Amino acid sequence: MTIERELETIDVSFNVGPQHPATHGVFRMVLTVDGEVVVELEPVIGYLHRGAEKLSENCDYRQAIGFQDRTEYLSQFNAELCYVIAVEKLMGLEVPERAEYIRVILTELNRIASHLMFMGAFSADLGVFGTLFMYAFRERERMQDLFEEISGDRMMYSYFRVGGLAWDVPEDFVERTRWVVQQVRQGIADIDGLLTKNEVLLARTRGIGVMNAEQSIDWGFSGPMLRAAGVRHDLRRAEPYSIYDRLEFDIPVGENGDVYDRYIVRLEEMRQSVRIVEQCLDQMPKDGPIVAPGLKRVLRPPAGEVYMRTENPRGEYGIYLVSKGTDKPYRLKIRSPSFCHLAALRNMVVGHYVADAVIILGSVDIVLCEVDR
Amino acid sequence: MLGLFRALSTTLSAVLRKPVTVQYPAVHKELPHRTRGFPVLLWDFEVDEPFCTGCQVCARYCPTECMSVTMKDNPKHAEGKSKRRKIVDRFYIDYARCMRCNICVEVCNFDAIVLNNSWSGHEVSRYDRRDLVYDREDLLAESKEGSLTNPFREPLGMAHSGWSPKPRGEKAEEEEPSGE
Amino acid sequence: MIADNPWIDAVVRTLLVVMLVIVVALILIWVERKVAGRIQMRLGPMVVGPYGLLQSVADAIKLLTKEDLRPASADRWVFELAPFVAFVPSLLTLMSLPFTAHLFVRNLELGLFYIVAVSGLSIVGLLMAGWGSANKYALLGAVRAAAQLISYEIPLVMAILAVAMVSGTLNLVEIVEGQGRVPYIVWQPLGFVIFIIATLAELYRNPFDIPTAESEIVGGPFIEYSGIRWSMFFFAEYVNVFMLSVLGSLVFLGGWNWPLGNEVGWPLQLVLIFAKTSAMLLVFMWLRVSLPRLRIDQLMSFCWQVLLPFSFLGIIINGLVLVYEWPDVLLGLFSGVAALIAGWAVYRGSRRAAPAQPWSSVPARGTN
Repeated sequence: MTIERELETIDVSFNVGPQHPATHGVFRMVLTVDGEVVVELEPVIGYLHRGAEKLSENCDYRQAIGFQDRTEYLSQFNAELCYVIAVEKLMGLEVPERAEYIRVILTELNRIASHLMFMGAFSADLGVFGTLFMYAFRERERMQDLFEEISGDRMMYSYFRVGGLAWDVPEDFVERTRWVVQQVRQGIADIDGLLTKNEVLLARTRGIGVMNAEQSIDWGFSGPMLRAAGVRHDLRRAEPYSIYDRLEFDIPVGENGDVYDRYIVRLEEMRQSVRIVEQCLDQMPKDGPIVAPGLKRVLRPPAGEVYMRTENPRGEYGIYLVSKGTDKPYRLKIRSPSFCHLAALRNMVVGHYVADAVIILGSVDIVLCEVDR
Repeated sequence: MLGLFRALSTTLSAVLRKPVTVQYPAVHKELPHRTRGFPVLLWDFEVDEPFCTGCQVCARYCPTECMSVTMKDNPKHAEGKSKRRKIVDRFYIDYARCMRCNICVEVCNFDAIVLNNSWSGHEVSRYDRRDLVYDREDLLAESKEGSLTNPFREPLGMAHSGWSPKPRGEKAEEEEPSGE
Repeated sequence: MIADNPWIDAVVRTLLVVMLVIVVALILIWVERKVAGRIQMRLGPMVVGPYGLLQSVADAIKLLTKEDLRPASADRWVFELAPFVAFVPSLLTLMSLPFTAHLFVRNLELGLFYIVAVSGLSIVGLLMAGWGSANKYALLGAVRAAAQLISYEIPLVMAILAVAMVSGTLNLVEIVEGQGRVPYIVWQPLGFVIFIIATLAELYRNPFDIPTAESEIVGGPFIEYSGIRWSMFFFAEYVNVFMLSVLGSLVFLGGWNWPLGNEVGWPLQLVLIFAKTSAMLLVFMWLRVSLPRLRIDQLMSFCWQVLLPFSFLGIIINGLVLVYEWPDVLLGLFSGVAALIAGWAVYRGSRRAAPAQPWSSVPARGTN
């Protein structure tokens, strides 16, 4: 005769955040845990809301470029590019060739820098003591030094302008960039060697946080999260902007949509970005104008609205711009990829262990400022 | 197993490379020419007064509204020593708000303000936030003592989106606008 | 013999060993930070003292001058005694650890057995820390830490037992004496690998440091401790690292005996054993900085499903070769083959595609 005793268990509910030991920003998850398994997750955002969209309504089109930097603070050039292309579309401007090439070079270098930051934070979540973080940041520092030589600042560049660039790049730009790219290759090789075939990483990240292709499209994923699930969709190929239609690059695609695939996709994207940068350096015109001709000192785009989207390192970054013909935008709405990815966090985490919740959050690669704006 | 050995060999190979960090307060890296520190005003040594006339264009275009400027009649103009009719009376910049976006430099008609590209433009630490509000004399100090040797001025016309003012006689240091 | 009276002799030797180990622990902290820095291509501590040598001293002074907090609802005696119960066994194990044939406190006939038994006492200290903190996360962390420690004791003991079978004695000096020609790592490569992995798990070092370094339970059972109490846990860890490294170099790497033999004077033997200990310490630090950490269930399943069967296999191999008096070289051969099989099993296990997740379809939440 067996006596079955039911053990009364309570689900424990606790906070992860807003102060994180990992480096994702002020984000709070309220986890409800049954033993080790996460039963419920509630993300709480808004800790970093600074009113960027409303502030942009008080600024003219040149001042708002600074706010774009600060919204997407890890891939600043990508955000600036989206914004200036949006305004140029509204005004019907034609950007000179040299400016386009320089823009794409800087944008792709910034993509590499952003993915390096992801590698660092991801490995810090995993528990690699800090080694990969240092390797990634060594390469990031080289790029930040290059950006400082070009634009003046290491992070908040404010370098793109409507119609082109603020000022020309220094004379040694091509050699410097080639040298940086060569160093970055070594950094990517380091990261690859340290993590890709690592059995501990495979054990920790295979099959964790799975979102298959159908679910990813349903939840509105984009960027590396979508490509990790197997959907071959890249805005640089689907709706080419700037000069991407002249460049050859592959689109890395994962299989399962788990955390390991997201890591592999971002690693491969870094390699493809290196390829793009080298092609641009070869194809770039040696000199030429860097600003579209005939611009007034104060920009007044014609009344109208435009939605421009670009492929950010995090996904599809969109700017919806409404202009009433004045020198300040009437409405500047930012569509941020991290916001949409966080909506699906609950689906990805529930059913896994608590230690996995941290890794899944790390694999989404959020930038809190674009979630909260 | 092989993946673990690969990871270990990667870290071992890193030991054989030189460390990339430097001891910062003892060693300062060389700042590039275009680096954007905090804004400072320039002193016109020929006429012995600031370049700034207090026209408030920079204060109007500042995205964070960190500057306040007032102008007054230039006593030197009345004496005939200077061509500037007005001169800056009071000029406050709140460094705590400034985001070093370079717009004030781009819009200034008199090339009077520039971002400090030396280490003193970066190492501005104070214990009290109110000490970060610099007034006219603090802003002129760097230029007056002659340590601002090579400020970065983009060739006029680029950042102005193709627009350039008519070149004036005394501002001979402008490069010709190579806009288009 | 330092003094004729055995009691005074014992006290003096004990004091010498304890002081040596405290100094070694301080130096080890500095070495760890420098090695970690070098692997990460940075400089490590440089400011305090030349090349940062006085950094440990500065840390010790900081820890000593911190406020000694105790949570109000903590069980007072359990909370305050826990650091001692964790620290003292580490020092006790040093009592029978020989550094050369004549430099030890007391060489016991059951030296190996004594060391393994006493070092297990620190588990109680950890549990006391977790319970006495009156903090549910500390208790969670302490229970996990205790589970990890107890599980990994078994492969550690089995690996050392295999060496005891080969040498025929538990007396540490005689084990080292028996390695005159060939160190035991050649006869027991499987045992050595298991020893290294189990040691990492015993010491809570990466990749097995989840009880003490997880992002939800930052610090594990040591959350509520600060200042000198925390520094006692910290010292206990470093003393354990040192002790297990010395044990490994005595038992597997040939101690002071190989390759120079017993005839050279004790200074050179001391240098030799410290060199081997340093080699093992560097390997531990290198592993710490390079590998991600395992989740607790992966850790436990690795122990029970991989390490334990293979450690038993090692003992069976030893038994067969020794009882049937096959040539010694077969020991090394079988053990090496078993080590390779273990590595291959781990390789295959991690590459296997993850099973389909039963939780992939999460029901949508109803109204908020």
